[in-house]
Amino acid sequence: MPYLIHLAILVGIYGILGLSLNLVVGYTGLLSVTHAAFYGLGAYATAILLTSTGLNFFVALLLGVLITSVLALLIGLVLSRFHGDYYALGSFGFNIIIYSVFLNWQSLTRGPLGIPGIRRPEIFGLNLTDNFHFLLLVLAILLLVYFLCRFIVNSSFGRALRAIREDEQALQVFGYRTTFYKLIIFVLSAALAAVAGSLFASYITFVDPSSFVLFESIFILAIIILGGLANLRGSLLGALFLILLPELLRFVGFPSDIAAQMRQVVYGLILVILMLYRPQGLVGEYKL
Amino acid sequence: MGILPQLILNSIIAGAIYTMIALGFNLIYSTVKFFDLSYGVMMAIGGYGVYWLYKIIGLNLGLSVVLAILLAGLVGYLADYFVYRPLRRRKASTMVLLVASLGIFTALQAVIAILFSSQFQTLSAGEGKIYEVIGGAITGVQLVILASGLLIMLALAFFLNRTRFGRAIKAVGDDEEVARVVGINTDKIISFVFFLSAAIGGLAGVLVGFDTGIEPTMGLNLLLKGVIAAIVGGIGNIYGGVLGAFLLGTVENFGIWQISGEWKDAIAFALLIVFLIFRPQGLFKR
Repeated sequence: MPYLIHLAILVGIYGILGLSLNLVVGYTGLLSVTHAAFYGLGAYATAILLTSTGLNFFVALLLGVLITSVLALLIGLVLSRFHGDYYALGSFGFNIIIYSVFLNWQSLTRGPLGIPGIRRPEIFGLNLTDNFHFLLLVLAILLLVYFLCRFIVNSSFGRALRAIREDEQALQVFGYRTTFYKLIIFVLSAALAAVAGSLFASYITFVDPSSFVLFESIFILAIIILGGLANLRGSLLGALFLILLPELLRFVGFPSDIAAQMRQVVYGLILVILMLYRPQGLVGEYKL
Repeated sequence: MGILPQLILNSIIAGAIYTMIALGFNLIYSTVKFFDLSYGVMMAIGGYGVYWLYKIIGLNLGLSVVLAILLAGLVGYLADYFVYRPLRRRKASTMVLLVASLGIFTALQAVIAILFSSQFQTLSAGEGKIYEVIGGAITGVQLVILASGLLIMLALAFFLNRTRFGRAIKAVGDDEEVARVVGINTDKIISFVFFLSAAIGGLAGVLVGFDTGIEPTMGLNLLLKGVIAAIVGGIGNIYGGVLGAFLLGTVENFGIWQISGEWKDAIAFALLIVFLIFRPQGLFKR
């Protein structure tokens, strides 16, 4: 049972990551591979604030979101100049640069040692050290994020995003400032990833750079491609599927080192097979 | 021995490695027009091929190297045959191809880690000879790297410009439809391009393995450096890629001298992003 709660919390956190990335990749058609960087920024900001000050978790979370949004704005400004393959590659680059900062800015992040001893959140004097209570918090935030995303994609703003994906130039002809739209959704998506990062940091109570490598971005991308681009429920489905699937491998009885590699083999194969036979994913509404 | 000659030498050696990788990458990109990330795993396949044949099975060195390079080429060919060709038939977008190549890369890299463990290994047998050039030290392996980089650049330039087959490759790159109409077997050409590029990548991986060492994740870093070199130089342009590679090697080595070694990758990507912002077409336009 504790194990199932653990998995459910992970599904919740990756659900938030999937939903937020889908806004950029699925709805706006920008292949961003830098989501783990924003996830990490949120996690590190929360970790540093909680271990070095007596701030409340939710204040730390909001500050983390704020810091991440500012950085995402700067990164988004640079990325907004690129299209297609170049966009993907540029976003790769930012993931690697931010990972280097986590790894090498030792006075702030303690480098590869990571930051231990992060506090769990407290609500009205109730300390969420119990995993079940923490799960409730994660689910509440997941629900909030889901409805926020649904509100966005169903609004006129969301329709403009889909129009950018289909034909950006046409939209520019109609007088839409598409760069502005792309920037807003990019920053918003990063901010939500930071929320997931904060939850992750206080759940595991430890952060280190290895959780935010490029592969993590690829994993989140795999979640939304499997679930389906431009479909919010698809992102949740993808997170559920990709978190639970490797757990089955564990039961097959591989040693843990090999099981970790097997996960990557499975993720890689899923990407290839999906591209070959079902590029829109399980329930997607948009093909890359 | 001053620091400057050594820095220059290191820059040139890094440049030669990046040259090879950028050449292979450019060849694929200019023919099929997508970022083939699976190319990165070819370096690891080359490196581990030699490790397996030479260190575990015990074949002689030359034969192991040749077989490892051919193995990398074969994997490149198979990736095209089983994945990219069906996707091309279906007129899949470049994004689909990119994601598929990412999948191949991720899966094969993990397979290598399962087969050979994810530990860092070294290929070279003990201390090699160290030579002195312009006041800096250079190992025998590094001399081979320089020679290989130069040789591959010249051979590729000759092959693409002076032979019928090479010109056919260029024709496919210019316009696949038209090339097919005039009777070029485009599938065969593209298969060959994937084989050749993967083999060049494999060679680069073998050389890196003898110079520093191998680990399953070595490919991504090398691939990204090659891609940066190719873009900085002007994508699809052979000589541009070479110049970009040496520029990258120089910026990296002088950068880590001024800042510190851990920031090497960040420096490389900073260079890329500066170029993408201010000169997205690269040094040379195609």
